[in-house]
Amino acid sequence: MTATQLSPGSVRPPVRTAGPRPRRTSGRHLNLVLGVVGLAVVLGAWQLCAVTGIVDPNFSSSPSGAFLALIESVGSGAIWAPLGSTLSIVALGMAISVVAGIPAGLLIGRNKYLHGLTDPLISIMYSVPYVVFLPMLIFWFGIEMNARLVIVVWSSLFPLLINVIAGSRNLDPAYTQVSRVYCASRLYTLRAVAFPATLPYILAGIRQAVGRALIGAIVAELFMGSSGLGYQVQLQTSNFAMDEAMASIAVIAVVAIVLTRGVGHLERRFTFWSASD
Amino acid sequence: MNQPAQKLLVGDVTLGYRSARTDSFSLACDGLSFDVAEGEFVAIVGPSGCGKTSFLSAVAGLLPVTSGRLELNGEQILGPSPDRSLVFQQASLFPWRTVEANIAFGLKAQQRLDKKGKDRVAGLVELVGLSGKEGKYPRELSGGMGQRVNLARALATDPDLLLLDEPFSALDAQTREVMQEELTRIWQADRTGKGKTAVFVTHDVPEAVFLADRVVVFSDGPARLLEVVEVDLARPRDAAVKRSAEFQAISDYILRLVMSRSQPGRRASDHDSHTTVAG
Repeated sequence: MTATQLSPGSVRPPVRTAGPRPRRTSGRHLNLVLGVVGLAVVLGAWQLCAVTGIVDPNFSSSPSGAFLALIESVGSGAIWAPLGSTLSIVALGMAISVVAGIPAGLLIGRNKYLHGLTDPLISIMYSVPYVVFLPMLIFWFGIEMNARLVIVVWSSLFPLLINVIAGSRNLDPAYTQVSRVYCASRLYTLRAVAFPATLPYILAGIRQAVGRALIGAIVAELFMGSSGLGYQVQLQTSNFAMDEAMASIAVIAVVAIVLTRGVGHLERRFTFWSASD
Repeated sequence: MNQPAQKLLVGDVTLGYRSARTDSFSLACDGLSFDVAEGEFVAIVGPSGCGKTSFLSAVAGLLPVTSGRLELNGEQILGPSPDRSLVFQQASLFPWRTVEANIAFGLKAQQRLDKKGKDRVAGLVELVGLSGKEGKYPRELSGGMGQRVNLARALATDPDLLLLDEPFSALDAQTREVMQEELTRIWQADRTGKGKTAVFVTHDVPEAVFLADRVVVFSDGPARLLEVVEVDLARPRDAAVKRSAEFQAISDYILRLVMSRSQPGRRASDHDSHTTVAG
């Protein structure tokens, strides 16, 4: 999982460095090869331990067993319902966080009184692990869909909020001055200056929020779910179906990587101009 | 047109900043009086930090005057308006906009980017020598090219009065020389609309003499008017004019004026000794 942790109040502008092109590409290929090799070594060692009986595959599963279970669950279609359940709750939770978090963050960032009022609250909510509220949330909302949604929103809203606030507070005064000199309306300034200037922060916030939303969804499913990938893992582990549980975890890993990489791709696509030389 | 119409009137202008923290008022400009005629290129020189930029901000409408008359076409300046453009010291280009979209920003903001506006932008791209670079982003440009875009953006809205705030001060010496010549060329070539009146702020005396019809000399801060010096050098001017004896004489004269008024330890009390020669 690549949900980057950052301390509140010290959000740095997301600057990427673009080196000379050929070196960068070969570096990327090298990293890919090294990554595959590293993964293969660990999986190979695990398989070796399971085959030679150093560890009991009944408890530890094995790469080959997990792989076969994965093929089986994809083939039988058993994986799609939990996957869909988890993805839909992440999507819904992210939609709520984005719709609420971006305007709220822009507003708080542009108003010093609102910022003063909400800053300690947001820092606390961001820093305290939301998991400790889980028993209380179950008490308040039960273990239905609503409660799981609350957890997903809770876990994803604050990283997004903190980034958007930092972005709108760091709006370069030179930009607003240009806007004033050329008599741009408030609305046009917001749309054509403030929004694009804050976009790198917004997308960095979304990237972190997506990772946290997935964690939130899985945690909620582990503790109180009746569907979803987290519930699936919980159920399979309880039934000593270790290969199947490992297969479900592999699916979660793929989802996590696809989601954060997907947003990372959006970042590069829409904020290519913010890369420093 | 024997007597060119008066464009900008500066009458006993005082301005400064109120510090919110200490609630004290610090004076940036004190009792300035001069005027700028239609079509004239006026340069303001003075020691660094004397309040030249504050004065220009006031003309741009970004900073209110504390007292005095600051009138464009007979009307007091109360805020920014489409009839004025400012070329910023730092290019302040929007990094998410291409060269072309940056130049078009003012027109777009003022809802004037119609067919004619687009032609205007295309014409300016060529005029400032950026043909083929329309689609580039600011981070792909050198400092000199950035300032070309900055200038074109200011010209695009076809302002009555063009304000330039030390636009070449961050450039290396060679690029600066090139840009000074480019500015005179563009200045003379851009005859869309009414022809341009310009106020150019700099601390570089030869730059001021090379560009301007008249040079307004400010004292060190708070800025007071020391003298307005006529520059009787024939136009169009090229780099060769900088080697002429006449150019040297004017530059030396202004430089001595600036130096004499920026000695350390001088107090505001020797205010009364200044000589004001209004042009």
